[in-house]
Amino acid sequence: MGAPFDFAPERPEHIESILNGLDRYNPETTAVFQDYVMQQCENQTYDCFANLALLKLYQFNPHLKQDETVTNILVKALTVFPSPDFSLCLSLLPSHTLNPLPTSSHTPAAGDLSEAVQKLNELKNLLEGADYTQFWATLDSDDLYADLVADVSGFEELMRVRIAATVSQAVREVERSILESWLNCQGKEFEHFVGTVCGWNVDGDKIKIPINKDNEAKGTVVRENVKFDQFSRIVRRAYEQPA
Amino acid sequence: MDDLDRVSSIGGSQDIHAQLQAAATPLEFQATLETKFQSYDNYCNLFHFILNSDGPVELDMPNSSWAWDVIDEFIYQFNSFCGYRQKVALKGDNPEEIQLLRENPNTWGCYSVLNVLYSLIQRSQISEQLLAIKRGEDPKAYAGEYGQRPLYQMLGYFSIVGLLRVHCLLGDFSLALKTLDDIELNKKSMFARVMAAHFTTYYYVGFSYMMMRRYADAIRMFSHILVYVSRTKNFQKNAQYDSITKKNDQMYALIAICVAFHPTRLDDTIHTALREKYGEQFNRLQRGGPDSLPLFEELFRAACPKFINPTPPDFDNPELNVDPVEHHLRIFMDEVKNNMMSPTVKSYLKLYTTMDLKKLAGFLEVDPEKLRCWLLVNKQRNRQIRWSEGGLLAGDVVHSSDLDYAMEGDLIHVAEAKVGRKLVDWYLRNLARTY
Repeated sequence: MGAPFDFAPERPEHIESILNGLDRYNPETTAVFQDYVMQQCENQTYDCFANLALLKLYQFNPHLKQDETVTNILVKALTVFPSPDFSLCLSLLPSHTLNPLPTSSHTPAAGDLSEAVQKLNELKNLLEGADYTQFWATLDSDDLYADLVADVSGFEELMRVRIAATVSQAVREVERSILESWLNCQGKEFEHFVGTVCGWNVDGDKIKIPINKDNEAKGTVVRENVKFDQFSRIVRRAYEQPA
Repeated sequence: MDDLDRVSSIGGSQDIHAQLQAAATPLEFQATLETKFQSYDNYCNLFHFILNSDGPVELDMPNSSWAWDVIDEFIYQFNSFCGYRQKVALKGDNPEEIQLLRENPNTWGCYSVLNVLYSLIQRSQISEQLLAIKRGEDPKAYAGEYGQRPLYQMLGYFSIVGLLRVHCLLGDFSLALKTLDDIELNKKSMFARVMAAHFTTYYYVGFSYMMMRRYADAIRMFSHILVYVSRTKNFQKNAQYDSITKKNDQMYALIAICVAFHPTRLDDTIHTALREKYGEQFNRLQRGGPDSLPLFEELFRAACPKFINPTPPDFDNPELNVDPVEHHLRIFMDEVKNNMMSPTVKSYLKLYTTMDLKKLAGFLEVDPEKLRCWLLVNKQRNRQIRWSEGGLLAGDVVHSSDLDYAMEGDLIHVAEAKVGRKLVDWYLRNLARTY
C-alpha cells in the first residue's frame, strides 16, 4: 500500500507530536516549524503535511508570516511535481496573492509576496504542463528566480531527477537533443546523469529507457469481480418466498 | 479561550430549553450585525455551560437531530459572518459597520470556533470511543463521565464532521480528510442517522478529494451519497429533504467535473440524472478544449463551498480582500487548463495501435513538441492515487485510464485495456424486478 499523504519518513518525533495535537494551532510553534522548513531545504528532505500546518498558522496569524519561509515551502513543493502539493499550499495563502498585479502603481500592501508567488506559480504551470524546456528558460530569465530557489539545496538536481522520473513513465526511447533540453544539461554532465543517475542507455543520438511498468503500455482485459455477497439478497428471497 | 470564560448568563431550567432550541434555529436572512454578535455570545454561553460546568450537565436533547442542528447552525453562522465581513471590507462603503467590525475582531474568530469543536471532541472522548468501536470493543468503557451521555456523545461526534467542514472552508483539504481518520464511512456510521449529516459529510469529503486531484475517490463519494438520496427520497418528503436539494444539485455539478477529469462509468441512476440536468454541457465538459473553460468555471462557482478567510479583513486596503472563492477558482482553473487537451489527444489515440507523433500533430494542427508535452501530461494524469483501505488520506497509485501508451522516439505505441461486460448489476436489478 502507498504511504498516506500525511506520512513523511524523515519526520522527527517532536514535529509528529505537534502535528497530532492541538499545538499545531499554537502560534508559539511557528518557530519550530520554520526551523523544520529550513532543515528540509538543507538536507533535501520534504514534509508537505508539516509545511501545510505552518501555512495554516500563518493563515490564522498573518502578523507572524515570513515571506521567505512561504516561498521556500512553495519551491520545495515544486520539487515533487506533478503531485498536488503546490496547489494545496496555494490554497492556504491569502486570497489576494493570485490577484493580477497592478502594472503601473506599486501597492506596498499586496507586496512582494504576491509577485513571488505568481512567479513560482508560473513555473508550476510549466512543469505540470510538461513543458520542461520552457521551464528551464523561464527559471533562467529572471534574477528573482535565482533568489527564490537559493535556499533549497540541490534544486536543479532535484528537478532533473523529477523530470527524468516523469519521462521514464511515458517514454521508451527519445532523441538526445530533446532530452538534453528537457533536463537542461549537455555533454559529459548529461551522459553522467542519464547513464549513472538514471541508469539509461545512451545509443548514439538516441537514449533508450529500460522497460518499466508504466512505459510498456500493455493491453489488458479487465474482468468483473463477482462476490457471492452481491447475491445474498436474492438467495435469501428465494427462501423467504417459496414459489 | 477567553470568550468561553465569560460569565454565564444561563439561569433557570425553562431558560435553558429555550436556549437549546435557539441554538439549533437559523438566524433570519436579514439579520443585523448586532444580531450576529448576539448570536455568537449566545453560543459562547451555551457551550461554556455545557463544557465548563461542574461535571456533565443534566440535559436531554430536544430531539434526535438536535446535536447535528446546533453544530451545523454554529458553523453556518461562522461561515456567513466571515463572508459578510469580507464583503463589507471589499466594498468599503459602510463606515459604521466597518467601525463595528474593527472593534470586535475576535467575534466569530477562527480560534474560538475551532476551540469549541475540539473541546466538544475531547470532553466526549469520542475519538477513544470510535477507536474502540473499530476494534470491536464496547465504546462505553472509554466514554468517561461525559461521553456516556447522549448529549455529549452526539455533540462530540458531529463536531468531528464540523471540523471536516471548517477545514475545507479554510482551504485545508488534507487536514479535512485527516480529521475523519476515526470515523468509518458507511451506512452504519452514526452520522447516517441524521440525513443532513450523512449528506454533508460526503459532500465535503468528496470535495476535498477533488481538490487533492483524487478524482476517482471523489466520484466514489459523490456517487455513493447521490444513489442513496435517489433511493430514499420517497421516504424523505419533508423539510429536511428540501434543504438538501441544493447540495444535491451541487454534487451533480461536481461529479460532472470529476468525470471530465477522469472518465468513468457511473451508476445508471446518476448517469441518467446527469444527462437530464446537464445534457449538452456534460458533453462539452468531457470534450475539453478551450471552449469548456467557462463551463468548468461556472460549475465550480455554483458547486464549491463558500470558502472563507478566517482573519479580519484589511479594512485599509479594500482591494486586497478578494473573495476566497475567486482564489480557489484560480487554483482549480490552472488544473483544468493543464488538462484540457487530454480528451482530444485520447480520442485520436483510441483509433490506432501505433501512430507517428508528427502525423498526429498534423491532424491536431499543433507543433509536434507541444503534442509531446500533452502526451506527457496526459500520461501523468492517468496515474492517480486511489483509496483501498485505511484512513481517507491513504491510497495507492493506480493507472486510471482504459487507454495506455508509450513513446519510442516519434512512434506512439497505444494499448487499450478492454473492460469485460459487467453483467452482475444488470442481472440483479432484473431479478429484483421480476421476482
